[in-house]
Amino acid sequence: MAGSGTAHLRDEGNVLVRVERMTVEFPLGRGAVVHAVSDVSFDLVEGETLGIVGESGCGKSTTARAVIQMPRPTSGHVWFKGNDLTALSSEELRQVRPDLQMIFQDPISSLNPRRTVRDIIAEGLRVWGSRGTWTEDRIDELMAAVGIDPRYGERKPHQFSGGQCQRISIARALVLDPKVIICDEPVSALDVSVQAQILNLLEDMKARYGVSLMFISHDLSVVKNISDRVMVMYMGKVCEVAGSDDLFSRPAHPYTRALIASIPGAKGVPDDQMLDGELPSAIDPPSGCRFRTRCPHSQHICSETEPEIRGIGDGHFVACHFPQVATTPVTVG
Amino acid sequence: MLEVSDLRVRFSTPAGTITAVNGVSLTLGEKESIAIVGESGSGKSVFARTLLDLLAGNGTRTGTIAIGGRDIDELSKAERKHFFGVQVAMVFQDPMTSLNPVKRIGAQLTEAMRYHLKMTKDEAHDRAVGLLRQVHIPSPERRMKQYPHELSGGMRQRVVIAMALACEPRLLIADEPTTALDVTVQKAILDVLDDLRAERNMSMILITHDLGVAEGRADRIGVMYAGRLMELATAKDLFADMRHPYTEALLRSIPSTDMVSHTRLHPIPGRPPDLLNPPKGCPFAARCRYAQPECVDTNPPLIETTNGHWFACHFPVGTAEGKAALARNEEAGVTAAGLHLDEHAEEYV
Repeated sequence: MAGSGTAHLRDEGNVLVRVERMTVEFPLGRGAVVHAVSDVSFDLVEGETLGIVGESGCGKSTTARAVIQMPRPTSGHVWFKGNDLTALSSEELRQVRPDLQMIFQDPISSLNPRRTVRDIIAEGLRVWGSRGTWTEDRIDELMAAVGIDPRYGERKPHQFSGGQCQRISIARALVLDPKVIICDEPVSALDVSVQAQILNLLEDMKARYGVSLMFISHDLSVVKNISDRVMVMYMGKVCEVAGSDDLFSRPAHPYTRALIASIPGAKGVPDDQMLDGELPSAIDPPSGCRFRTRCPHSQHICSETEPEIRGIGDGHFVACHFPQVATTPVTVG
Repeated sequence: MLEVSDLRVRFSTPAGTITAVNGVSLTLGEKESIAIVGESGSGKSVFARTLLDLLAGNGTRTGTIAIGGRDIDELSKAERKHFFGVQVAMVFQDPMTSLNPVKRIGAQLTEAMRYHLKMTKDEAHDRAVGLLRQVHIPSPERRMKQYPHELSGGMRQRVVIAMALACEPRLLIADEPTTALDVTVQKAILDVLDDLRAERNMSMILITHDLGVAEGRADRIGVMYAGRLMELATAKDLFADMRHPYTEALLRSIPSTDMVSHTRLHPIPGRPPDLLNPPKGCPFAARCRYAQPECVDTNPPLIETTNGHWFACHFPVGTAEGKAALARNEEAGVTAAGLHLDEHAEEYV
């Protein structure tokens, strides 16, 4: 899986974020390094939702956070509105930040318990001042839009349920009219009935305010539902990128297939491969393809050469020497 | 194996009395597995803990629980010591907090065997290694000497399962055993539980919020809401022939990989009832698309229809009464409990 390469990047004019060969490493001391994200490229076009899936520790959150330079990538480029964010100074970066917002997993701990909901939503406005569409009137409008009665603006987060707190987080993310919202497991802590409310709300807000989403989740059904395009990651590498429906109807990477086969209660999915063994260490990842130690199709070449991402048609890209394409047999040579 | 009758659990809190489990009755046969599904606050975990007589200090229980033919209230003090953890054992949700971080895996695994089964150190050690092997932990001898933090989440949960199995329980209660784990690990853990259950002729109660997990892993499924059992049926019946509107609403709210992307989901409107002031009628009435005046006034009893399919509803899904109730509500645009059925009614929640 381990895939590097940029074949899947698009050249259309409406590309909003373009990440090229981004690497994030965390030093451990004594020369050891955690390879959290290694040579990852992807892009996000306007109005699109990009889902990022993978197991815990695959680098999906780090990838999304590195896009907003928290932390700054070790190497690589992040293009946004003609700027390379990795080359900006702190002050220049601060000027770009209103366009890039984030929603976190735990709705309650991500809101300041001592402040009123109105204060929390308005904080961005206080930092940036009212200008253009950024006015105090917007707070009532946003609260109503996310389904929180504006009369409850003086309440504090503990007076709301988890689902309501997530709505408040969404309103806070929207207040500065961002272009991109990064949603890091925004529904994982919620009950299914509330999860559906928040997913519908995100779809509505996306349509109403014209934002693009990067949606991180470990739940494949949720990702399929909300995403236009899905990127599957394993150990800091991209395995497969495809349109949401396409990825689930013809998963080509052995890891994607194993993930889909693990969904409880899913029917009509490939059951030809299950994952064995444990995740290898991100400090000393396997050579060649990082997935080879757990891959049922692993061959000699997989330990020597890292597979490049390549297209298999219809905007479907995979980084594997032996992709499992059922309909059209692929010859590897 | 297990007979629960009219189980009620109340907690007294400064704000008043909460009835967390409200009249649950259930029987579980030998080798049978049952999944209890519900959202947070439905009382499913309290139910599970009560079966092991684990109640917080402010909790009181009424109703009877019999495990393997023994009423747990009739056990003597000495019997109790070697009953819970031996006849019936539990796997908790969070593998990190259910293991002691400063004791080696081996010490934690052998403790119960030495206490309950009076084994020698060596006997217990050998058996612990065997258990770790059964739950598919590689190089078990080495793991015995490790601490919990040296193991991954999936491995820790396997250790917890091995601990629960140490004294050969006849009934295993697993409370959300895979919730904190990745799907691939979840599948592996559930497979281990399935295999062990078959090998050891164990009965199992699986508590989960995930209907998908319940469907594939249990013979029967019980759906809980606000402390009550709303529906209980074989896994096949529950999905093919569901009767309770809450079960239907739960299923409608879950995205599935069978759906095309961007399929609009159907959340359950409103919120679960306040357990301090439970409603007089059906606890789900306020959120139910089928609700009629009767539902607001009287709580429907749990009744059995055909071959073991139980449900508590006045206007069950798929019946003539249910269809008529839904049609009436749809025509009026509002249910008897005041719920607006307009899909796009932008309600404040």
